[in-house]
Amino acid sequence: MITWEVFGAWLSAAMVVWIYSFAYRDNALYKLAEHMFVGTAAGYSIALALDSLNRVVVAPAVRSPETFWAASWHYVIPVVLGVLMFAKYSRKYYWLARYAVAVNIAVGSGLALRTAPIANIVRQVTATILPLWGSDPVKVLNNWILVLVTLGGLTYFLFTIFPRRVEGARPSPAYWVYRSLYYIGIYGMMVGFGALFANTIMTRVGFLISIYLIYIQPEAWASIVAAVLAAVAIILGILRKR
Amino acid sequence: MSEMSALRSLEKVLGSKELLYTLLLLSVILPILHPLGIPVEISKRTLDVYEYVDKKLPPGCHVYIEVYYEVAARGELEPNLIALTKHLFDKGCKIVYGSLSAFGVVAFSLFKTMAADLFEDKVYGRDYVYLGYIAGSEAATASLARSIRGTISVDNYGNRLEDLPLMREVDKATDFDLVIIVSSGTDVFAYYVRQWHTPYGVPLLFAALSVIGPSIEPFVGAGQAIGMLVGQRSAAEYEVLVGRLGLGIASMDAQSTSHMLIVAFIAIGNAIYWSKRVSSQRGGSK
Repeated sequence: MITWEVFGAWLSAAMVVWIYSFAYRDNALYKLAEHMFVGTAAGYSIALALDSLNRVVVAPAVRSPETFWAASWHYVIPVVLGVLMFAKYSRKYYWLARYAVAVNIAVGSGLALRTAPIANIVRQVTATILPLWGSDPVKVLNNWILVLVTLGGLTYFLFTIFPRRVEGARPSPAYWVYRSLYYIGIYGMMVGFGALFANTIMTRVGFLISIYLIYIQPEAWASIVAAVLAAVAIILGILRKR
Repeated sequence: MSEMSALRSLEKVLGSKELLYTLLLLSVILPILHPLGIPVEISKRTLDVYEYVDKKLPPGCHVYIEVYYEVAARGELEPNLIALTKHLFDKGCKIVYGSLSAFGVVAFSLFKTMAADLFEDKVYGRDYVYLGYIAGSEAATASLARSIRGTISVDNYGNRLEDLPLMREVDKATDFDLVIIVSSGTDVFAYYVRQWHTPYGVPLLFAALSVIGPSIEPFVGAGQAIGMLVGQRSAAEYEVLVGRLGLGIASMDAQSTSHMLIVAFIAIGNAIYWSKRVSSQRGGSK
């Protein structure tokens, strides 16, 4: 018997194949799946945001107004600011939305700046001040690499004052230090980007594997439907190319 | 010149994306249907996280877990979340889950379905609580650190937080022994570092997608997090350590075969490139 759950599993298996069919060529089924996904995601986000508003503000205010106004009256402020955002759609009152945006940005910046200098700058800088001599050669080598690549990366992005080579004159020691760090920076970043790209492949393949782990089960009909759809998408892709 | 044309034909055949995608599909599907059992070694990074949870957290500890990922990222993050939850429940820890992302609600619901056995003997409200979606990004993170009950009054299911025994035990950041962030986004890790760790010194543990690992590595290197679990590989290792094999370990064969395929294609592509270059140089010198 086809229940809603079975139907949902079939639909999601089909949607997975339709989305992956883009790897071969853009097609109507891919577009259908893409639009369904975007529409569902947008609708779902709005529903959840409204549900959150209802759970936190509306329902408590209606259920027990005395408690709400005594303990949680300040929830009304963000609600009013949120409503002001909709003033953007009025030509006459659009300026009211600026107050909501201003408060949002000010609160966000204030909260982030309170700890960002320590969390994102001081702690990161102190983490690169490492001992460059010691008894453990592997640790010493790691520390050297970390320090040099950090300095190299920073040197690469020096765009204002840096030692230049004067035509005909012998380059200064500062110039050689700068050039060495510059190239260490380039290669360090290349290694970093390489690691990032390798991790990207791992994540994408991981997504594919997890989808198949869920839907490719020998006893599940959904897997057969998905396999047939995949075969059709591949064959159509090859035929259309010819 | 015949050598050159042979190389071009080989490049044309191997350069066809249909061939690569079909082989990739097979390299993923076949190991799932017929597991190869390639052994998984436990890395030091995963072992460090396991030992921290095992030895440094007291029995009956309180842990906050941020569930911040969409359904697409389930394959990489859910196995980590399941393995960590099992470990924490085995130690008798109590867990408060929350989501700064609307999609966290779906992710949590699917996680509970997949790990139903872990929650069988647990009582909602006493052993674990799910706060649901909390709007407000970094501002909400800062507010939760000061007071959870001051930020929201009800959980995901509409229960008043004051009525839940666990929420009477914990309210602010310093009430928690560990905060675990399971996220598919980069920003949320920085939110917790800035709003929970820096002002209150709460230990953080990251569980991230493989692609995000390098971006949050500086936080771990600087000691702002006790460690991190990255992608399916870490999940597989943690599953082995806690003795509950799941999606992480099941995906390792497919990860290995698909990566071998990609490495083989990179090697073949480079070999053809250099052969063509050598061949054209020979042709030029003649």
